[in-house]
Amino acid sequence: MSFLFTVLRQLGRNLRQTWGVQIMTLLTVALSVLIFSFSYLVYTNIVHFGDRLSENIRLIVYLDEEPGPELRKQLERKILQFDDVEEINFVSREQAYNRFKAQLGENAAVLDGMPKNFLSPSVEVVPLNTLTHLNRLKDFSDYLSKMGGIQKVQFGQNWVEKFNYTSQLITIIVIASGALLILTTIFIVAHTIRLTILGRHNELELLKLVGATNNYIRAPFLLEGLLQGLLGSSIGLGTLYALFLWVKIHFTTSGFMAIFDFTFLNPWGTVIIILSSILLCTIGSWVTMQRFVKVC
Amino acid sequence: MIEVIKVAKIYPPDINALHEISLTVSRGEMCFLTGKSGAGKTTLFKLICNMDQATSGLIEVDGQKMNLLRGRKLSQLRQKIGVAYQDFKLLPKRTAAENIAVSMEVSYKKPQIIRDRVCSLLDQLGLADKYNIPTGELSHGEQQRVTLARAVANFPTLILADEPTGNLDAVTTKRVMRLLSNCNKDGATILIATHDETIFRKSSHRVLEITNGRLKKMTGVPTVP
Repeated sequence: MSFLFTVLRQLGRNLRQTWGVQIMTLLTVALSVLIFSFSYLVYTNIVHFGDRLSENIRLIVYLDEEPGPELRKQLERKILQFDDVEEINFVSREQAYNRFKAQLGENAAVLDGMPKNFLSPSVEVVPLNTLTHLNRLKDFSDYLSKMGGIQKVQFGQNWVEKFNYTSQLITIIVIASGALLILTTIFIVAHTIRLTILGRHNELELLKLVGATNNYIRAPFLLEGLLQGLLGSSIGLGTLYALFLWVKIHFTTSGFMAIFDFTFLNPWGTVIIILSSILLCTIGSWVTMQRFVKVC
Repeated sequence: MIEVIKVAKIYPPDINALHEISLTVSRGEMCFLTGKSGAGKTTLFKLICNMDQATSGLIEVDGQKMNLLRGRKLSQLRQKIGVAYQDFKLLPKRTAAENIAVSMEVSYKKPQIIRDRVCSLLDQLGLADKYNIPTGELSHGEQQRVTLARAVANFPTLILADEPTGNLDAVTTKRVMRLLSNCNKDGATILIATHDETIFRKSSHRVLEITNGRLKKMTGVPTVP
């Protein structure tokens, strides 16, 4: 009889004998995974949403006077010293006037009689459109305003700050639910395996006496933890996917929610959550065996 | 096969279960260990199969010092030792067949071989109809035979049988002794602890008597088939 066959049979016996506790454990693991992956899903969607919005964000640095070639190079160098950027555009007084005129469209006549140099020259800085860079916009703005020859710096400060707070809050929730997942999973699985071990104490004692090796006794319990992790995380993620579809179908086709382009976790994220759950459950199982199954 | 050299066992606080016992059992020998209840027979068995550790002295089984064995080596040796425990150590919710199969499963025997062996043993011990009955539902005598069947199932080289006929009638006792004799003829070393004089009175095998933890008397000479 092969080792694998024997271990699988032992595993089957374990599951049959303690099926009630096993189901409770499975549901707890699934719930933990659901809580964590839900927070993570919200987080990834916020990041995604932020990325989309940040594509339109730019810092407008108004200058005191039209920069010469030397000052342009200096400004470029200073900006790049702070952070990488997507783009730096210098807008002369005349370009600013022309843009403004174009924006006014039919009402451009209001500019008649105005000098073409009444608008300030400026530098348009397009930051990299990632959340990390977006979160640094305020620092970037402060940095730019402290450079010489700057009148003021403008960007959607209000929006960016609110977005910043929200993303920080979601990050905390993701971390907290991640910690919850780790603690709950290890604790519950360890507890279940302990109950299984106590319930089968006489049998384990007998197995030792008839010459069962450590692997023979321990492998089914490890496999039990592994299975709890695999099934629990699959159920949790499956439930989340069903919820996701339901929300997408019922709430994102119209109204305020329509501006969000909801996406589910990417395949790698899903695989990592499943593997982490398997690892955590196996650790829970291993820890209990080390404490309660003294082999030889 | 078994070397017991000046072995003592003291249970806390100061109960002397064995007083520096020394004995040798040759490979392939069958012998009886007799004595009153509490004399130390079961304690000696527990030390020989490494269920418990001696307070002092040395026990060697198959050339291996039992107090030094750990892990895989201990498991391998235990697979070669079949023990029929006085308290049976059966799993009451498992069937007779499953209980017997346990000792063969740990050494990864093929399912068909296990099935054949289990059927053969149940038949030899008059339990053929108990194959699928949970041992918790069997009588004391039947449980005792299942224990013995489990002890001999894996073709061990050493069999320790603690009171194997304690609850049996004369006919069944004969069956049990025939099974043990057959194992002995096949090369197994057998040590039987018993009160029952009828099973060793006319035997040509050695009889060792323990009294109050001391080896008092030996009759017969080692006989190896």
